[in-house]
Amino acid sequence: MDSQIHKIHQQLVNKEFSCTNLVQEKLNLLKQNTHNTVNNLLDNLALNLAAKVDAKIANNEPIGLLEGIPFGIKDVYMVQGTFTTASSNLLKNYKAAYTATAIQKLLDAGAIPIVKENCDSFGHGSSSENTIFGAVKNAINPDLVGGGSSGGSAVNVAKDYTVFSIGGDTGGSVRQPAGYNHVYGLKPTYGRISRYGLMAYASSTDCVGPIAKSVGDILIVLNVMSGKDAKDQTSYVSEAISEESILNSTDIKSVGYFKSFIESEAIDSKIKADFLATIEKIKAKNIEVKELDFFKSNILVSTYYTLAMAETASNLSRLDGSNYGNRIDNKNLKESYAITRSENFSEETKRRIVGGNQVLSQGFSDEIYLKGLALRDAISDNFEKDFKEVDIIVSPVTPNTPPKIGNSLKDPHAMYLSDAYTVGFSLGQLPTLTIPQGTETGLQITAAKNNDELVLKFANFLKDTI
Amino acid sequence: MSKIMTVDILSSIKGAEPSEAVNKLFDVIKNANATNNNSLNNNHNNCVSLDNLRDDVVIESSAIEKQIIVENFPKEKNGYLVVSKVIEA
Repeated sequence: MDSQIHKIHQQLVNKEFSCTNLVQEKLNLLKQNTHNTVNNLLDNLALNLAAKVDAKIANNEPIGLLEGIPFGIKDVYMVQGTFTTASSNLLKNYKAAYTATAIQKLLDAGAIPIVKENCDSFGHGSSSENTIFGAVKNAINPDLVGGGSSGGSAVNVAKDYTVFSIGGDTGGSVRQPAGYNHVYGLKPTYGRISRYGLMAYASSTDCVGPIAKSVGDILIVLNVMSGKDAKDQTSYVSEAISEESILNSTDIKSVGYFKSFIESEAIDSKIKADFLATIEKIKAKNIEVKELDFFKSNILVSTYYTLAMAETASNLSRLDGSNYGNRIDNKNLKESYAITRSENFSEETKRRIVGGNQVLSQGFSDEIYLKGLALRDAISDNFEKDFKEVDIIVSPVTPNTPPKIGNSLKDPHAMYLSDAYTVGFSLGQLPTLTIPQGTETGLQITAAKNNDELVLKFANFLKDTI
Repeated sequence: MSKIMTVDILSSIKGAEPSEAVNKLFDVIKNANATNNNSLNNNHNNCVSLDNLRDDVVIESSAIEKQIIVENFPKEKNGYLVVSKVIEA
């Protein structure tokens, strides 16, 4: 199975190059910051860790598979002692006091963090333009957006600046930039990886997600990060997925796709044609393909944003500049809060906080927020029904190709609608992987809750099928 | 008589007003047919079993954690956090 991690591991063991040289080479590439992917370089930390790996290799001590592998971290994860800005003005000088569980597990396995990566501020965006560090440029065409919100992470992987990166996916923020930059990006089942130390956007859909260049690497990183964590009560116990288990996909008998996604007027004609051609190739492998009924895109997007805005209004209420952050003092505490938040949050973040407080207000909560929750239940019920009919659901990742830098921020409503194909799976808390095949912006593979293994299995199958 | 809280007050954001882009999303929800309108009856909550709660114990932060927390204080005097004076009428 393809795996950059396995390959580099072997090269380190064979002393083809030193870990220090490997890390330094990546740092040199990142230092140029050609695609605005870098918020902060972790050069001292990374080079110190690399020297330790080299010492072990020199002493002929065995090293673990991830030991010495350089990786990137979306700048919404706590890594003790490093700047953790969420690409925001409010936290531009904030240093994390502790380390996120998912990241700590990678550090314990010996992986080397080299960069905190640019993203939409607090995850609020689908283009990585809502950031104080400059719009992230697409890896394939730098005039286009890198996608978002984990744009910096996807571009770094695509450009080989990192071997893998850890993004965060709330409504598509790993899958969409992975699609825009032709790499793999996984949103695991909600709760499979602890959210502790991931800055909260919408807690009921926030997921830690790996981005890499192969299914094999996604598998390795997923296994290391997964597991129950007492610090995140929604996390659960899961078994490691073995490489062997995803090699044989004969148990996948049926695949479904949503008619409403493909019949939508909003879908680009080439993405539609390529998706349907992919369906034909799957059929040719004697897999039954079923058309499935699903909610209209505008219902999915509106339900997602209603709940995500309500949750982010609540989660971000702690950011008032009193204990940390870029405080602006005023005549009293309340005024200080208001000025600090008004001056330091971006327009998009403010729009979402205000929207969230609108729907949580008396008089609006019944007809919008509570109805949104009911719709979410209906969407989840629909998924449960679907997975009695099919093993896997495939979908395009986005209705359109990446927009030009500068266009998305002008029309926020259009940006929300561009998430039409990713948000439903977030609401259902389902494991979904973007693969860089099938359409210009990739293909999403989804399975039933807790069945991340099946997703990887089908991705491995499609690698040689389409 | 109930006191009306506007979104700028609720959000602690000066001059904040509902936006057209977001209201368009909410209109879709208002007009949608939700078959199950009772959100309390759903089966999709991420509830934690009472038997599975973590121990309710104080965990002492490490020295480095405490040091970074102090470093993050926006204003500090003799190791203490300085906050604005609260004046309530």
